[in-house]
Order: sequence, then C-alpha cells, then structure tokens
Amino acid sequence: MATTAEGFDAHHEDHAAHDHADHKPGFFARWFMSTNHKDIGTLYLIFAIIAGIIGGVISGAMRAELAAPGLQYMGMIVDMMGGDGSSFDQQGHMWNVLITAHGLIMVFFMVMPAMIGGFGNWFVPLMIGAPDMAFPRMNNISFWLTVAGFFSLLFSLFVPGGVGLGAGTGWTVYAPLSTSGSVGPAVDFAIFSLHLAGAGSILGATNFITTIFNMRAPGMTLHKMPLFVWSVLVTAFLLLLALPVLAAAITMLITDRNFGTTFFDPAGGGDPVLYQHLFWFFGHPEVYIMILPGFGMVSQIVATFSRKPVFGYLGMAYAMVAIGVVGFIVWAHHMYTVGLDVNTKMYFTAATMVIAVPTGIKIFSWIATMWGGSIEFKSPMVWAMGFIFLFTVGGVTGVVLANGGIDDNLHDSYYVVAHFHYVLSMGAVFSIFAGFYYWFPKMSGRWHSEFLSHLHFWVFFIGVNVIFFPQHFLGLNGMARRYPDYTAAFEYWNQISSYGYVIMAGSMIIFFVNIGYALVAGKRAAGNYWGEGATTLEWSLSSPPPFHQFETLPVIEDHHSADDHISDRPATA
Amino acid sequence: QDISAPASTVDAAEVVAESVADGEVVIDETGGFEHFGPDRILGQPTSADEDMLASMTFQDQYTANGNYALWMHDAILLPIIFAISLFVLGLLLWVIARYRRAANQVPSKTSHNTLIEIIWTVVPVIILVVIAVPSITLLARQYQAPPEDAITIKANGYQWYWGYEYLDNGGFEVISNMLDESEALSAGEPHQLAVDNRMVVPVGVPIRLQVFGADVIHSFAVPSLWFKMDAVPGRINEKILLIEEEGIYYGQCMELCGARHGYMPITVEARSMEDYNAWVAMQPGGMTRAQIQAEDAAAAAPAPVEEATDDGTEEGEAVEAAA
Amino acid sequence: MAGAKNHDYHILAPDIWPVVGAFSALIFTSGMVMLMHADFFGEGWRIVLGIGIAGLIATFFGWFSKIVNEAQRGDHTPVVQLHMRYGMILFIASEVMFFVGWFWSWFDFALFPSPLEYLGDNRWQNVIGQDGAAALLSFPPEGIDVLDPFSLPLLNTLILLCSGTTVTWAHHSLINGDRDGLKKGLWLTVALGILFSAIQAYEYSHAAFGFGGSNYSSAFYMATGFHGFHVLVGTIFLAVCLFRTYKGHFTPRQHFGFEAAAWYWHFVDVVWLFLFIAVYVWGGWGAEVH
Ligand code: HEA
Ligand code: HEA
Ligand code: CUA
Ligand SMILES: [Cu+2]
Repeated sequence: MATTAEGFDAHHEDHAAHDHADHKPGFFARWFMSTNHKDIGTLYLIFAIIAGIIGGVISGAMRAELAAPGLQYMGMIVDMMGGDGSSFDQQGHMWNVLITAHGLIMVFFMVMPAMIGGFGNWFVPLMIGAPDMAFPRMNNISFWLTVAGFFSLLFSLFVPGGVGLGAGTGWTVYAPLSTSGSVGPAVDFAIFSLHLAGAGSILGATNFITTIFNMRAPGMTLHKMPLFVWSVLVTAFLLLLALPVLAAAITMLITDRNFGTTFFDPAGGGDPVLYQHLFWFFGHPEVYIMILPGFGMVSQIVATFSRKPVFGYLGMAYAMVAIGVVGFIVWAHHMYTVGLDVNTKMYFTAATMVIAVPTGIKIFSWIATMWGGSIEFKSPMVWAMGFIFLFTVGGVTGVVLANGGIDDNLHDSYYVVAHFHYVLSMGAVFSIFAGFYYWFPKMSGRWHSEFLSHLHFWVFFIGVNVIFFPQHFLGLNGMARRYPDYTAAFEYWNQISSYGYVIMAGSMIIFFVNIGYALVAGKRAAGNYWGEGATTLEWSLSSPPPFHQFETLPVIEDHHSADDHISDRPATA
Repeated sequence: QDISAPASTVDAAEVVAESVADGEVVIDETGGFEHFGPDRILGQPTSADEDMLASMTFQDQYTANGNYALWMHDAILLPIIFAISLFVLGLLLWVIARYRRAANQVPSKTSHNTLIEIIWTVVPVIILVVIAVPSITLLARQYQAPPEDAITIKANGYQWYWGYEYLDNGGFEVISNMLDESEALSAGEPHQLAVDNRMVVPVGVPIRLQVFGADVIHSFAVPSLWFKMDAVPGRINEKILLIEEEGIYYGQCMELCGARHGYMPITVEARSMEDYNAWVAMQPGGMTRAQIQAEDAAAAAPAPVEEATDDGTEEGEAVEAAA
Repeated sequence: MAGAKNHDYHILAPDIWPVVGAFSALIFTSGMVMLMHADFFGEGWRIVLGIGIAGLIATFFGWFSKIVNEAQRGDHTPVVQLHMRYGMILFIASEVMFFVGWFWSWFDFALFPSPLEYLGDNRWQNVIGQDGAAALLSFPPEGIDVLDPFSLPLLNTLILLCSGTTVTWAHHSLINGDRDGLKKGLWLTVALGILFSAIQAYEYSHAAFGFGGSNYSSAFYMATGFHGFHVLVGTIFLAVCLFRTYKGHFTPRQHFGFEAAAWYWHFVDVVWLFLFIAVYVWGGWGAEVH
C-alpha cells in the first residue's frame, strides 16, 4: 500500500495512453449489448436520472394537490390519463396511483439503480483493481430487467386497477386492497414490475458479491477494501436474501388475485397480516439497501476532502455488517398497529432501537475523520456533510417511531412521511448527489461547475427542508398519509411544504444546467483531480478511464506498519 | 369541486330535529338525549392561525395512556432527539470552522482512538436504555386487558365508512358516513372529520374496543385518544379505551383502503353513562345494561342456569356505578 | 484490447441475449397479465405469451450455448470457474430465501389457524367474531382430506434420496475418468427425476382437495408446486449435462457445469425433505387421510 495514485501509474502500463484498451464497439453494440461495467453503470445512471425526473414530477403533482384542501388537480389528471375526471372515486383512486408510482419509482427505479447499478457498477471494479465485473453478460441483463420492470409499471397506468386506471395500492401493495380490492390488470402489471426489477437486482447482487470476493487486486485483503466496496458488499447480501422473500409474497398476491388461492383471504383461512410480515421482512432490509451505498460514498468523500484516512475503518465496515444483520430482525416495527401481541411489540421496539448504535458509530466516525483534517469544501464534501446532518435528523425520528407505544399515534401519519424522506429524499439523495459530483468528472472526463454544484446544494438543501420539516408537525398533529385532501386545520404547513417543492425544483434545474454545461463545455478532468486526499484505485486511472482498465492487475503492496492496515486507503501516500 | 356525497349522508341541519330515513333516531326529544354541539369538540387538529405551537405538536390527550405517551414523547424523546441532532450539527460546524483547509494546513494522521470509540458506542446504548424503560412501560399499560365488565363496542371498517356495533347493548350497528362540506360547516364542525352518525361511547369507564375490517384493511385512529388499531379482515383486534372527559374526538381511517380512504372519518362522542344509556335506548334494538339484566333475570328466573351471566350482567352494574 | 490482457478474468464481447432475455421476460409477464385478464384483453395473450416464452427459451438456449462454447474454448480459467461456483452458491442461497417465503406462509397457517367453517364444495368461511369460532380452529381445516404422507410422498422421498446417490455416483465416475459410470449415473438421475415429477403429477390429479379455496391447499400446492418446478429445471439441467457428456465436454478436472447441476439437484432434494416433513407429515397430522 505504498503507492500513491501517481506512483501507481508508473509501475504498470495500463494507462489511458494505451489506446488499444480504448477500442469501443459501435453504438448499438456498445449501449444495447454491453458487457462493460462502466457503460452499464452509465446506462444505470441515465436510467436513474430519467426515473428520478418522472418520480420527482409526480411528487410535484402531489404537492400541488396538497397545497390546499379540496381536490384541485386530480380530476384533470384523471382526464389526461383517459379516465372520467368528474368521478369522485376516480379522483381519489388517481391519488393512490400517483403515490404508488412515486414510491415505487423512487425506490426501485431511482435510488437503487443510481447507487448500486450506477455507482456500484462503475466503481466497485475500479476500486478493487478489477478489469470488470465477474459476470459481464449477466450484468447487462440486470440492467435491462430493471428497464423491463419500469415498462411494466408504466403499462399499469393505462389499464383498470379498481375504480380507475392504474395500481392504487401504495408501494407496499398490502392485501386485500391489492387482491380483492383492486380488480383489473393494473396491479398485476405493477407486481410483475417488481418481479422483473427484483430478478435483475438478485442477479446483480450475485454479481457484486462474486466480484468483490474473487476479483480484488493482489494484496487487497477484505480489510483493505475501500468502504464503498464494503457497503456494496453488504447491500448485495441484503438484496440476495431479502428480495426472494418479496418475490414469494407478491407471487402469492398474483395467485390470490387470479388463481383462487387464499393466502391473504380470510374466507379461506388466509391472513392479510401474513402479507405484511413477508413484505416487511423484505421491506426493512430494503430501506438499508437504499442507504448503505450512500454510507459508503460518504466515507470515501469525507476521507478524500479531509485528507485523512477514515477514522475507525474496521468499526465502519463492521457497523455496516451489523446494520445489515440486525436489519433482518426488526421488520414488524412497520406493523405496530396490526394487532401484534405485547411481547412481540416490546421485542421489535428494542431490536429496532439497537440499530441506532452502529449507525451512531458511523456518524461519529465520519466526524472524527474530519476532526484534525484539512478540509476542503468541494461540492461532494458539502453534499456529504449535508447528508450527515440530515440523515441524523431522519434517523432520530426513526428512533421515535421505533417505540411501539408512541407509534400507535404516529403510524401512517405524515410524521412517518417526514421520517423517511429525511433518510431517503435527503439521506439517500444527498449521498447520490455527493457521489455524482465526486465522480462525475471521472466518469465523463469533464468538469462540472463547482459554483453551480454548490448553488444546487444550497437551494436543494433549503427546498427539501422546507418540504419535509413541516410534515413532522402535520404528522404529530394527526394528519394521515395517503390522503389527497385534508381538513382545513392542516392547510398552513401543507402550503409551506408545497412552496418548498418549488424551491427544490429550482435547484434541480440548476443541476441539469450544470450537467449540460459540463458535457458540452466542461473543462477536461485530470486522472486524480481531487489531489492528495483521493487515494483509492479509481484515481490512478485517467478520466474517463480506458474502456478496459487494469489489463495488468495492480498490486497492492504493504510496506506499512500493522497499524495502517486499518484504513481504507489501498494506495496511500 | 364536486365531492359526491357518500352513501346515506345526512344533512346536518336535519339531524338536529328529526329522525332519518334509515330508521335511526338521532335525536329523541323524549329520551332527553341531545348530541354535543361544536363547543364540546376536544380532540381535533389545531390550525396554525389559531395556535402556531399547538399546530406543530401532538393533539391534547384525553386518556391516561395518551397522557403517559405524550409525556414520554415531550419529556424524553423530543429533548433527546433534539439534543442528538444539535450535537451532530454542532460537531459539524466545529470541524468546519476549526479544520477547514485555511485553518489547518496539515491533516493529522489519527485514525484510531479506542476510548472515544467505546464512548460513542456505550453512550448511545445508555440513551436507548433511557428510552426503552418508559417505552416498555407504555406498551405494558396499553396492553392491560379490559376488565370483564368493560363495554364492548365493535368498529367495523367498510369501503368507505365506519359501522359501530354495540355488542353489549343489543347488538345494533350505527352506520357513520362523512358529512359533505356544507353540512359539516353548517353544523360548525370541521369538514372531513365530521360524520352524520357519531360513535357514542360512555366516558370514564373502560371500553373494550374491537376493530374489524369488512372488506380491506382500514385503521381506526383517533389521535387525541392515542388510539390506532388496524381493522383487518378475518381477525378482531381488541384494545382497551378509557376516555377521561366528555366531548367530541375526531379521527380518521389511517390505513390505505382505496379510493375514498381520505373520506371515512371517525367522530367519537364521549358521554356520561346516563346520556349514553339514553342514547342507547333510542337506537333501534338498543338495550341498556339494566334492560338486558332485567330481561336475563326474567329469562333465568324459571330455571337459573349459568348462561344468564354470559354477557356480564352483574359486572354491568359495576360499570354503571362507576359512571 | 488485443493481446493486452494480462489476467485470467473473462472479458466478454458485447452480447445481444441480455436485452433479448429481459424484454422476453417483460413480454412473458405481460402475456401472463393478458391471460389472467382475458376478459379485458381478449385472446391476444396467446400471441404475446407465446412470443415471451419463445424468447425466454431462445435466450436460455442461446446464452447457455455461449457459455458452453466459451468453456470448451478454454475461457473458463480457474478463477472464472471460481466465479461460477460463487455465482451458483449465491443463486441457490436466493432460492432458499424464496422457499422461506412459502414455508413462512405454511407455518403461519399451521401454527395460527383461522376459525374456519366448511361450506362444502371446497369453500370455507372465516367465522371470526361469531359464536363458537374457537371450536372450529384446526389445520388442515375441516373438510380437507390430506394425502397419506407415507404412501406416494414417502416413495417420492426415497426416489429423490436415491437420485442424490446416483448423481454422486456420476460425479465420482467423472472424477475418476469412468465415462461409462458417469453416463449410467446421469441417466438414472434424470430418469428418477422424471419419475418423481410423474408421481407428483399423478398425485396432484388424485388429491381430494382442489387448488384454491383454502389456506391449506394454497400453501400446499404453491410450495410443492414450486418445488416441482425446480425438479423440472434440475432435470433439464442434468439432461443437458448428459447430452454434454456424450459430446465429451467434461474432463475429470474441469466440469463445473456438471457440478452446478449436482448442487442444484441436492438443493432441490433438501427442499423436498423439508416439504415432506413439514408439509406432508407434520402439516397433515391428525387430519382425515384421503
Ligand atoms: C433509507 C431509508 C431508511 C432508513 C435508513 C431508516 C432508518 C430507520 N428507520 Fe425508517 N423508514 C423508512 C426508511 C428508512 N428508515 C421508510 C421508507 C419507511 C416507511 C415505509 C412505509 O410505510 O411506506 C420507514 C418507516 C419506519 C418505521 C415505521 C413507522 C410507521 O409506519 O409507523 C419505523 C419504526 O420503527 C422506522 C424506524 C427507523 C429506525 C429506528 C431507523 C434507524 O436505522 C435510524 C438510525 C439512525 C440514527 C438514530 C441517527 C444517527 C445516530 C446517532 C447520531 C447516534 C445516537 C443516537 C441515538 C442514541 C438515538 N422507520
Ligand atoms: C427515494 C425515495 C423517495 C424520494 C427521493 C422522494 C422524494 C419526494 N417525495 Fe416521496 N415518497 C417515497 C419515496 C421517496 N420520495 C415513498 C416510498 C413514499 C410512500 C408511497 C406510499 O405511500 O406508498 C413517498 C410518499 C410521498 C408523499 C406522501 C404521499 C401520501 O402519503 O399521500 C409525499 C407528499 O408530499 C412525497 C413527496 C415527495 C417530494 C416532494 C419529493 C421530492 O424530494 C422529489 C424531488 C426529486 C428528487 C430529490 C429526485 C431527484 C433525483 C434525480 C433526478 C436523480 C438523480 C440521479 C443521479 C444524479 C444519478 N412523497
Ligand atoms: Cu378506510 Cu382508509
Ligand atoms: Cu423499517
């Protein structure tokens, strides 16, 4: 581990200059038949951005509707989608369709593809010094299955799903609303959407685990692996073990809906609550799937811009493992009001709170990494620091919800909506933007504007806080979620929340201008453009890296004392 | 916009004076029962114009468990989460100020400190224990079994209205639909919380509230009573409810149940036992405990068998005495 | 890239099958929806579902042919073979979790049965809240005549256990260069697999309870049915190995395709043992036997 990023270039010949490594296939073959982890990563990122725009626009329609009591826009949207906008029931149904689509799109088609598919694909092989993923062809079908899943979700919008068009079950697809409660093909399309995207993710998970276990460059032990790689490893295990249970659960929905089984139909001895157990056994690990890669990215970024190795590397790695493991035994905290018995509720209360401990270790270790550092506030760092604070805010409201007795009041209220947007629309999304600005020049070879990136940060920061902080108040005061309409008392904070959306939307325009500017006129980026602090292997390559990197594997030497093993700097100065 | 009135909505203005089409007597001059007016509304959200602070926090609580939970949130959880968030924010601001490049050119190489790592593991554990103790206590209290003589009321969730079955009072069911906007406002009640037929319950005595879903899952939720219980098809959920003050408490369905999930509110009207009995007596098929008891006694007189006590007749007296 | 590659990893040329496979899957699932809602979509599902299935079969065939060819070409260096081992183990792990879902529903129903009243004609009614509900608690519910576990299911257990030994026989023969033993072992394994499926099909068609209607039949058919599907896949997998044996593909040192099939087969076997114990024996205990 004695090589600097620069020194590292010197002793193997795999440099951008070797253009034989840069021979790229033609357009169709490159983008539709790809077996290249970087291209597939790029596809995932583009897909995530498109999905993010769609999911974000839908949330705009939602915020517009909620800006004032009464139903304002639902009728219009129903008409637009080909329904009968004057029907009160169809308007209500349309609301449910929108939140369902928003939730599913953001979770399955924005955050997961961006973090795991996009950044994971791009940087796991680069960071471990591998030429590609273990199964390059399977990598590609993971991506296209995600696209196929998205199409299936889109199909669902145009076919009947109960009293109107589309699947209006919420992203949780609870039975019996999703079975006997939604006649018509829409919900089947939505379920198959999850099947397809889920299959893609399971294959992706096997790919990542295999890659990380088998393709680390010589000398890179597990305990020298960058924390982002650790985070993807843990995430992949969560995917591998959680998604098949969801697959079983939603298959039961399909057969209950269409083939007369009664898994969730009490008339035949089935149990609607069984569905919730199965769903949340997947669903809770799923929320960590959406944040762990973010943890990983933030670790890289904080270390880079503090010019220090990550504080407590091993603790950081194993905290993620602990979060992953404990994440499997807390699922029923989403079900406190279904009629669990008291001991079950006590257990899930205690188990859920335990997760605050490893998460706290991460928060404090990031701060300790910065402590004593020489911090440079480049855009990724600003986003990462925003992440640390806002995720903490979202996390501590999670701890409030963890208390079964308290959750009796807050469950299915806007307090929950506020909680999970703080960890998702701020936690996960801030880490995505942090990672994006960190690696964008590496991926594209061109510089974004740091000014616009900072501006994006500040406007977005203000916008999302204005959107979601008041939702805590609404929730505490009793406003139910999944409502298109509310009683007059809730107007004030809803209005403010909707104003926040406008601010946030402005920031996204800055973001797109910034990318556009970078792609068209951005300055060329050097190999290691962040300088001294950036020590992982991707910085040893050109920006963008050659089409096939590491054709001679890098060797991670270990000249240092035992003490230094424990840092995430495989190639430290 | 046009909110087509849900089935069997009753015009609030008419409610005041006369009986309704479905045969339910809402007001019975002879029984002397009159529904509370809007001046008796206790449990409802507060608008920011009225009281900014109250619009940002929990609704006032009218049950013992609710007050305990409220105390736990306001006195324990809220300070703790504020402190943690501010602590993290403070540390961030400190490192920003102290360790920015301009202020600290040479980064330290420290990447370990066992003591500090132990501290930031153990201190959160302690904090969580501090939270867990009242939390577990709260759960234990919420799960106290209702006494034998508790009055059993069953709330049935339908798409999209509630039905309240008075199992210990002759088994009649009150169907409760949302009032449309003009009806609600003319009755002086908040729209989307007001209903035509309220769920009338006795105050000060334990109620065994059973919740059941007739079609899909609904959730019977009244924030000011700290009560939320899912109405799941195929199972009866049961929980004790003891309201401390006479008044009107608003709630809503809080589990996504389809198109009109947002339009099946709950209005609980808690009344003295006397008023409650008067109200029960007016319902078709409604029987007060005294009546049931008398009937049972009559039936039991010729051949006294155990069945007579089946619906807790003796205990019924205790309840009424308590009221 | 030419010639510059100094490592043993498998860098692949662009390939059309992933995108074809993914969209075939989409066409297949859409065809399923059309089939399930023929009242809405009409008969179009026949074409759509047909195309989807054809596309999927073509993908599997095309894709695995490529893998086989690459193996024959020598692309599967030791480290690539190691990848495949990991990949297969992880795939099986995910399959295990899939079955966890089905067993979960089974145990939920068996341990916490609902109060059901049999209405006749494979229909039940949940009598929650009605008097005497508790008396009707039973699993399997009243009205279900279960299969005798110690009849055909036991036979099937023996068949699968037996096939586990034959596949091991084949493996040992392969390692020891005994091509004849390999063929015999594989033939037997495939035959036992087919026999199992045939018996299973026979038993399904003679069961005293229908597919839907009750929690018991739902969980029973879906759990054993998905197992049956896996037996089918495993049998095909083994048959492909048999075919490849005749083509002379496997060597005593390199035959991961065979090993993967064997692992899969053992996995299917173990799932059956759990099914046999939990579903057939324990789950039907005390019920009327058909
Ligand atoms: C990225 C996604 C993500 C993450 C990371 C989390 C993290 C946590 N969540 Fe959240 N959650 C969601 C996404 C997420 N959640 C979603 C989407 C839902 C709603 C689903 C739906 O119904 O649609 C939900 C709902 C949800 C509920 C159910 C609410 C309800 O429906 O009634 C609960 C209840 O326990 C909960 C708890 C927690 C806890 C305890 C954590 C913990 O992991 C948080 C830990 C972090 C911290 C605590 C902060 C940092 C720690 C310190 C600074 C140390 C010191 C702290 C202490 C001592 C407290 N969450
Ligand atoms: C990651 C998940 C995620 C994200 C980012 C968001 C973002 C937003 N959400 Fe969402 N939301 C959910 C997940 C998410 N939400 C879920 C799961 C539900 C529950 C659904 C249900 O009840 O079933 C929900 C429900 C929900 C509700 C409650 C609806 C109801 O209960 O009736 C509301 C209401 O205001 C809301 C609003 C918003 C808004 C204004 C944003 C804005 O912040 C949106 C702004 C847009 C972005 C921040 C995305 C920008 C990102 C990109 C463009 C991609 C960039 C990619 C790269 C750089 C690679 N959401
Ligand atoms: Cu009923 Cu929501
Ligand atoms: Cu959770």
